[in-house]
Amino acid sequence: MSQNGDEAGDDEAALRARLEKLDAALRARDEERRAEDAAAGEPKAGVGRALSVGLNVFSEFVGAVVVGALIGWQADRWFGTTPWLLIAFLGLGVAAGFWNVYRVAAPKPPAAGADGDEGR
Amino acid sequence: MNGEVESKPNPIEQFELHRLFPFEVSGFDASFTNASLFMLLAALGVVLLMVVATSSKAIVPGRMQAVAEMLYEFVANTVRQTAGKEGMKFFPFIFSLFSFILISNLIGLVPYSFSPTAQIVVTFAFAAVVISLVVLYGLYRHGLRFLNLFVPHGVPLPVLVVLVPIEIISFLSRPISLSVRLFANILAGHITLAVFGGFVMLLLSAGAWAVLAPIPILAIVALYALELLVAFLQAFVFSVLTCVYLNDAIHPGH
Repeated sequence: MSQNGDEAGDDEAALRARLEKLDAALRARDEERRAEDAAAGEPKAGVGRALSVGLNVFSEFVGAVVVGALIGWQADRWFGTTPWLLIAFLGLGVAAGFWNVYRVAAPKPPAAGADGDEGR
Repeated sequence: MNGEVESKPNPIEQFELHRLFPFEVSGFDASFTNASLFMLLAALGVVLLMVVATSSKAIVPGRMQAVAEMLYEFVANTVRQTAGKEGMKFFPFIFSLFSFILISNLIGLVPYSFSPTAQIVVTFAFAAVVISLVVLYGLYRHGLRFLNLFVPHGVPLPVLVVLVPIEIISFLSRPISLSVRLFANILAGHITLAVFGGFVMLLLSAGAWAVLAPIPILAIVALYALELLVAFLQAFVFSVLTCVYLNDAIHPGH
């Protein structure tokens, strides 16, 4: 019996080793596939990709400018300082727009933030 | 798409709203329009895909079940990679969002149908929900520390005076860029398709030039392939960005 138990322990150890090996292999394959996907995802259809990137950058930039202008315009109406706040916030909006576009275009920021994904 | 160009090609006509059942709630026009109809269809499509496909619960999945499982795993992986393990509590939300946008983009590609995602109201409503969720969850989870999101690390004070408003405007522009991106991509694609369809019409009615009519048709075929890609890609981009923003709410501070 005791011999049997030993065998079972050995079996278990062997099984665990095999499981670990399988797990590692699976993980490696997963990573491989992910890398493949990333590589395949890059150079898709020329015009479509360009259109998509263009619209992406456009929306990032225009969004910020519009928000800045709206804030400035509304603040001007509240404080009666037409047109100074509008001008100031329009400038800030343009800056924020460039900041957005920079974040889209920047080649994978080293900071571990998920912001790098924004340029898709 | 090209079905709408009956007498004179009008590439914008396909986006017009029609009231199917006029209906008013205390002065607000809440009619059931063709946009509502196709959104309902998209929602039903999602439910059907999920319920029917998984009804058999086969271990070796059939075709529909394979589609449903791939969709599930794809979104789950996306959420896990962009928002981390904690982001998984938003998985149901993001999965609904992704599948709904995907299905409505795809339904919109069927000729004579209507694309709800080409309406800025629809996409902006999505973006507003997403951003409200981000802000509310961020405030609930971190209280006022959530506002650290607007203060980048390791920046000297004089620069902060300029940078913080820029960050705030940049944050506020997110719902706009999120909605405009989806809306503009779908809108541009459908207009392009309709314009090429219009070329076919014009060439056919231009006597001898009708010989050239197959060329735009070939272009339409190519564009359709592209639009399928865009339909998928934009749904994906929308959900990835949602995850990225939610990640900001989970871990504010750069």
